[in-house]
Amino acid sequence: MTRRIRGRAAALTLIGALALIAAGCGGDDGGSSGDGGDVSGTLAVTAIWSGAEQEAFQAVIDGFTEANSGVTVNYTSGGDQLPTQLSTAVEGGNPPDIAFLGQPGLVRDFVEKDALQPLDFAREDVETNLGDSAVQLGSVDDTLYGFLFKAANKSLVWYNVAAFEDAGVEPPGTWDDFLAAADTIGASGIPAFSIGGADGWTLTDLFENIYLRTAGPEKYDQLAAHEIPWTDQSVKDALTEMAKVVGNGDNIAGGTTGALQTDFPTSVSNVFSESPKAAQVIEGDFVPGAVESGLEPETDYNVFDFPAINDSAPSVVGGGDTVVMFKDSPAAQAFIRYLTTVEAAEIWAERGGFGSLNQDLDTGTYPDAIQQTAAGALSEAEVFRFDLSDLQPAAFGGTVGQGLFKLFQDFVQNPDDVDGITQQMEDAAAKAFG
Amino acid sequence: MSVTGSVAGDPPVTPTPEAVESGGWRRHALAAGFLAPAAIFLGVWIVYPTLTTIWRSFFDESGDEFVGLQNYQTLFTSDVILTAIKNNAIWVLVVPALVTSVGLVFAVLTERIPWSVAFKTAVFMPMAISAFAAGITWRIVYLQEPDRGALNAGIAVVKDSFSSGGVLADARPSSDALEGTSQGTIRLAEPVGRGDIALLGLTAIGSSEVPDDAEQAVRPEALQGGIRGVVWRDFKPGGGTAGEVEPDELGLPGVTVKLRTSGGGAVGSTMTATDGTFSFDEVESGEYSVAIGSESFSQSFGGVTWLGEKLVTPAILISYLWIWAGFAMVVIAAGLAAIPRDVLEAARTDGGTEWQVFRRVTVPLLAPVLTVVFITMLINVLKVFDIVIAIAPGSVQDDATVLALQMWRTAFGGSNDFGVGSAIAVFIFLLVVPILALNIRRFRREL
Amino acid sequence: MAHAETAGPITAPPAEDERLSARILRFLGRAPVHIFLVVIGLLWLVPTLGLFLTSLLSPGDFGDQGWWQLFSEPSKVTFENYEAVFDNDTLISALFTTLIVAVGGTILPIIVAAMAGYAFAWLDFPGRDWLFILVIALLVVPLQMALIPIFSLYNKLGIFDTTLSLILFHTAFGLPFAIFLLRNFFIGIPRDLMEAARIDGASEIRIFLRLILPLGLPAIASLGIFQFLWTWNDLLVALTFCRETQPITVAIFSQLRQFGANIELIAPATFVSLIIPLGVFFAFQRYFVEGLLAGSVK
Repeated sequence: MTRRIRGRAAALTLIGALALIAAGCGGDDGGSSGDGGDVSGTLAVTAIWSGAEQEAFQAVIDGFTEANSGVTVNYTSGGDQLPTQLSTAVEGGNPPDIAFLGQPGLVRDFVEKDALQPLDFAREDVETNLGDSAVQLGSVDDTLYGFLFKAANKSLVWYNVAAFEDAGVEPPGTWDDFLAAADTIGASGIPAFSIGGADGWTLTDLFENIYLRTAGPEKYDQLAAHEIPWTDQSVKDALTEMAKVVGNGDNIAGGTTGALQTDFPTSVSNVFSESPKAAQVIEGDFVPGAVESGLEPETDYNVFDFPAINDSAPSVVGGGDTVVMFKDSPAAQAFIRYLTTVEAAEIWAERGGFGSLNQDLDTGTYPDAIQQTAAGALSEAEVFRFDLSDLQPAAFGGTVGQGLFKLFQDFVQNPDDVDGITQQMEDAAAKAFG
Repeated sequence: MSVTGSVAGDPPVTPTPEAVESGGWRRHALAAGFLAPAAIFLGVWIVYPTLTTIWRSFFDESGDEFVGLQNYQTLFTSDVILTAIKNNAIWVLVVPALVTSVGLVFAVLTERIPWSVAFKTAVFMPMAISAFAAGITWRIVYLQEPDRGALNAGIAVVKDSFSSGGVLADARPSSDALEGTSQGTIRLAEPVGRGDIALLGLTAIGSSEVPDDAEQAVRPEALQGGIRGVVWRDFKPGGGTAGEVEPDELGLPGVTVKLRTSGGGAVGSTMTATDGTFSFDEVESGEYSVAIGSESFSQSFGGVTWLGEKLVTPAILISYLWIWAGFAMVVIAAGLAAIPRDVLEAARTDGGTEWQVFRRVTVPLLAPVLTVVFITMLINVLKVFDIVIAIAPGSVQDDATVLALQMWRTAFGGSNDFGVGSAIAVFIFLLVVPILALNIRRFRREL
Repeated sequence: MAHAETAGPITAPPAEDERLSARILRFLGRAPVHIFLVVIGLLWLVPTLGLFLTSLLSPGDFGDQGWWQLFSEPSKVTFENYEAVFDNDTLISALFTTLIVAVGGTILPIIVAAMAGYAFAWLDFPGRDWLFILVIALLVVPLQMALIPIFSLYNKLGIFDTTLSLILFHTAFGLPFAIFLLRNFFIGIPRDLMEAARIDGASEIRIFLRLILPLGLPAIASLGIFQFLWTWNDLLVALTFCRETQPITVAIFSQLRQFGANIELIAPATFVSLIIPLGVFFAFQRYFVEGLLAGSVK
């Protein structure tokens, strides 16, 4: 649920921008997928995209069919019902050829049902174009079944430009600068942070960003799979860093109690306002879509990458739509391979509302500076990881008022008791993982 | 009350002779036919599940293993479920009595008011709204920021009219040289004496909050035999150096500065100039403390956290009263209307005051109706769910939870423990059994 | 008694004066009551008004100040939020789901309960009183008792996540009250009418259709409104038995809980969701109150 709606919101983010872009400008340098026009057939493709996103994806498809005139690609939008529709279709034995899945867990589910075809033929393309992270994310037991075609970035900090200018601070690049800037902002008379703590997932997102940088991707994966306990020292270290943000009530809009009363949209509007109540909010690329503020991008609000901690490599926590193949055919293989190319990514990227892990994609392709930062970080990231809480059993990682959401809220309330809270997290995790 | 009047109505007609002759089995078959659909629904959706739930409550999470009373043990050992039980006890103790008495007051007061229909409609209207929609409605009322939440806005208005309003909203000491907070006083950490300069640097003052007439802050010259100092916004873009009066930092005019002896006795009080400076010209030798009085700060009211862990249950209770007071009022008003006028008149002519008549005559006559309202509310309260889940934000659901909500959260909201969930359901059921027994007794008498 | 005591020291005032002073006292005594009721009545309207006015504010404006800013700046009223709600496929289909469930969940229990109510009121069969007491007993069974077994049952039957599953559940849990209400009303129908019909040779089915149902219409109307409001306003049942087939309460609920919880969507959607039951309530207020009285005075 969470993920689905978040995905939708990510889509909403840039619909405004999309509307401004004339629809007909696509497909100018479309299909150079290398295979030439020797495949033919009809492909059924489905994803959640509708509206402006559907138009953009259609342009991506057109880029393919221009070079492969023998192939017809029929796209249908599954909307929010996609996971159910696909499950039903798989049960009934008539899945589409290709689908895009928003939930990382679904890929594994379908693999376990033997519904997916391995993408060995495209492994090299994915590795060179999208990077090792992409291979790892799309693999189940070392076999590649999919890759993130459209990615979302949750490692961003959005700020009110006027508040930063008032305080005389620049977007920081390191964690220490970030914390120092926060103090300066606080001294200027406005709380540095707006935290949507009433929605627990904003807190887990913050933790994941810190943890990925302090503990590194290996530990991150181990923690995600519960191979190391939550009482691990690396978790405690990350929480200690997190306390530097959430533990200083004076520097949070509404104080600590206020933060736990603030839902995500309010946390955004606290920053995206003519008279802001806080200077910055830490969340993903869907932030501008969460509220209608009347503020102008770049001049009124802007964005920077979540800062590096102890020289950590450029890292992104995120999500996105993974392309998978249900039915193998030469046409489907050609289309999949085409999707790994920079040409395919460019078609959507220049329309906006899109992020790609493709390392060859020039960030200048994105239509504005905000998207260049948000999506650019994806292709520049050396480490990309799925949102950790989305990888947990629902009761532990995705339920309002329970599990991680609740425990991180408790942590915000009492940031000194790192040992106590990690023990509680471990207890809850142990129960959820059985 | 017309419908009610027939509760103990006429007994059914005895069958006509013809009907008897045509054979009992046909009539029985007919009755069975009329009853069959209801029997199926009640059997499949209520009776069978009730028995199954009781059975299920003795098995573990997966349903495979018989665990005896272990799930019930969990009821009384799990913190969250205990909170739910405690909260439900509060609901039971407060709500039926509160709703009934408020309904009684409204019913009595509106009894002889010509425009009572308008009042009753306003109060009764929430009954038509879903408890869930009501919850959202009240969430907006309870928003914490006084700029958005109506209740806190109201409190802010009252508060503002009582507080004098200082020149500054909020401030913090800029360095360790000062201690205290703007809630109380902010003072120099170290005592000062004659000829010293007191530097009172404040931060966390927004540029828009600095008084309009403020000028560049000036570090004053020391004065022989006196104490001088400056109160200023110790901040310039980029931060600046804490505790140092620098260019681009503004003095804070109109701030009250107090001089006290080290024993706490007041020596003097003065006001800062536009450049933030102040001066106590003639001071005896000795040690003094310099402080900024709390009257200089008009604490901005941050709003009461209605939906925090402490107040969330009372907040939900109030919204629940908002929904149900109309029900109590209407039912009690109907009961009131059914009291014969002459009984009341007789009591009045006997010399009773209105209060006496109300207490000695009206309330006893209303007792059955009041009981009905009370019991109806009792049953409702044991099942309360929607409004709690709608009002309580995720972060305090563990604090606001009640049995019905906890049952749902346990069984469906993530942890999917049907064993404990069933046990909670049975526990709720056991709580209503006395009411059920009461109902049955009353009807057996009426039948 | 207190009256006499306080009047004691004053020596026999003229009767007319006493009446006049009593009248003045009564007026003065009444004025606070009027004021009190006006204030309370207005207070009772504030939350709903707040919801409505909030739904007319753009999110940016709401970010600055609450709904009361519309009193000083009425020009800030915007209907964009409502346009967005009516453009939102999820919410619109949720409204339809709610409508189907509410209508189905009203008609079906009325039919079933009318039949049973008639049997309990006018047909003679062994164990009738005991069965009726059982129905009354079921009146207070909390529906929490049914959630888990019915959840499993629906999954087995494959009707989980359908409007039908909701209608059936609401029907069952509406029945005890419905049977109770209708039986008590039917039993009040004059006996000679029934006897006349029976002597005329009318079948029981004919009597039920031609006599009982028309005469029982007021009670059926009360019941209908109740059942409609109950099913329309339900959250718990739908939340338990539906994933994708969401009624409006669940649709708003998921907006509220998850990311994307926007007041500019929630406020108008909530208002839309409550305007229909409110309309029903105002249109049939009399039946509603009658049903309430009949149902609660048990």
